[in-house]
Amino acid sequence: MRDVYIIGTGIHPWTGFSEQVFADFAATAVDGALKDAAIEWTRIQSIMAGIFIYGGNAGHLSGQYLESIFGETGVPVVNVYNACATGSAAIRMAYNSVAAGETDTALAFGADVSPKGFLTAKSDNAVQDRDVIRWKMGGMPNPIYWALECTKRMAKYGTTEEDLALVKVLMSEYGSKNPDARFKKAYSLEEVLKSVYVCEPLRLYEICPVSTGAAALIITADPELIAKADKPVKINATTMGSAIYGDPTIRISALSCPAVAEAPMLSESYSASRQAYEKAGIGPEDIDLLELPDNSSWHYLVYLETCGFCGEGEADKMLRDGQTRIGGTLPVNPSGGFSSHGEALSAQAIWQVIECANQLRGRCGERQVEGAKVAMAQTYGLMGNSGTTILSI
Amino acid sequence: MENMANSVARIPNLVDWSTGEVRLMSAKCNSCGTYFFPKEHYQHRPGCSREGVEDVLLPSRGKLASYTVQHYPCPPPFKTEQKITPYGIGLVEFEAEKIQVAGIITDTDLKSLELGMEMETTTLTMYVNEEKQQVVTWAFRAVK
Ligand SMILES: [Zn+2]
Repeated sequence: MRDVYIIGTGIHPWTGFSEQVFADFAATAVDGALKDAAIEWTRIQSIMAGIFIYGGNAGHLSGQYLESIFGETGVPVVNVYNACATGSAAIRMAYNSVAAGETDTALAFGADVSPKGFLTAKSDNAVQDRDVIRWKMGGMPNPIYWALECTKRMAKYGTTEEDLALVKVLMSEYGSKNPDARFKKAYSLEEVLKSVYVCEPLRLYEICPVSTGAAALIITADPELIAKADKPVKINATTMGSAIYGDPTIRISALSCPAVAEAPMLSESYSASRQAYEKAGIGPEDIDLLELPDNSSWHYLVYLETCGFCGEGEADKMLRDGQTRIGGTLPVNPSGGFSSHGEALSAQAIWQVIECANQLRGRCGERQVEGAKVAMAQTYGLMGNSGTTILSI
Repeated sequence: MENMANSVARIPNLVDWSTGEVRLMSAKCNSCGTYFFPKEHYQHRPGCSREGVEDVLLPSRGKLASYTVQHYPCPPPFKTEQKITPYGIGLVEFEAEKIQVAGIITDTDLKSLELGMEMETTTLTMYVNEEKQQVVTWAFRAVK
């Protein structure tokens, strides 16, 4: 396998619902990536697209729609879906194609327009689609799942409501310094603790909404393109994990979970991160900054443990002690996280990797983590999907 | 148990009241020992032969392993005639079967919920259909 570098990144800033079509958002991100890499569109030898599930034919074939905007060149275009880890799957396919020598330069992108109203069931067949059961019979929107786990955590490890609120305080402070974030207001602990409960113990400001956004990444093993790139970033590993039998976490859209743990919590992310550590020869102790999926304040805490940055039940202390702040031992989500962005399903994993790359390239202004050399982006997708990417400069 | 003669589950094969008690319809794999709910939600142990999966009913009672209180109405296709928010959602553990099942909690005194308390399976009437039947889902309530 060859060494593979990120040479170009592009983002369409995160926003709320938009009447604009997803392909235009994608094009903005891809334009940005091409400009950053200083290459022509015709240098792209494969396109790995995260699909936009609410976009019908266009969304399911997002790669073809994108390609036709820039000009069709006959290169392989693959469209992929792995829930909220969709972008991780696109990056991994692009990486594997380039690392294996199938192509020299590849594009991975994702673009999502937030649906008007609520995310809900996508079919009406309860036998083959369990999601129908949780909506029709369970009355269980996504944050319920997180709240059920959070309640367990509070009883087991003594996580407090202040800890949950403190996560939002930190995320909003960083989000206020990120021009690409959707939510730019910094909140005090008191303001967060005064926000209404959505599902106890989680409050409105402690869960992330759905958003519109697009992100694109150009990677290459072409020595000429690497040489002329502005601070190319090495991809040390990019992996996908699935769940492990006996994982006690109740997964979104499931109606049950094992009562006896025979595997780690969030085992899909445990699997993805351990594969990445192994492949990269880099461990949690070597990581200078981490972007993790803070769909809720509970995720922020548990992901530090799942990915091995501390032992079980120790994340609250890391947070309280300031270790996860910019300037601490492990800055977490200097981007402001999902809390400041919201989920743009197929784009978010790519955006997380871009934030890591931007940090390593020293492009993050007020939220810059000084001297960062190694960064990790971690995703979380429903029903056992996860991806880990480790980068270095 | 209430009179369930004129009740129908909104989705079949999930909840049973034919025995005189309300019980969840599970399936057990006799090869790897795993219980599934819904019963088609197969989650075999890796390497299991997957032979001998049989339908079973879970016991009517279990223990509250976790809960939350939902403060906003669940969006469609969830549907209830009466306003039910705020409502509890519990994870009820069936110890011998090594499974926890999620469901709405029908108790209205949500402050009295405590981890570990004994819960029983019940039904919640969501609405009345065109055939004048009560359309129900499974639910849990504290054992008094
Ligand atoms: Zn089995």
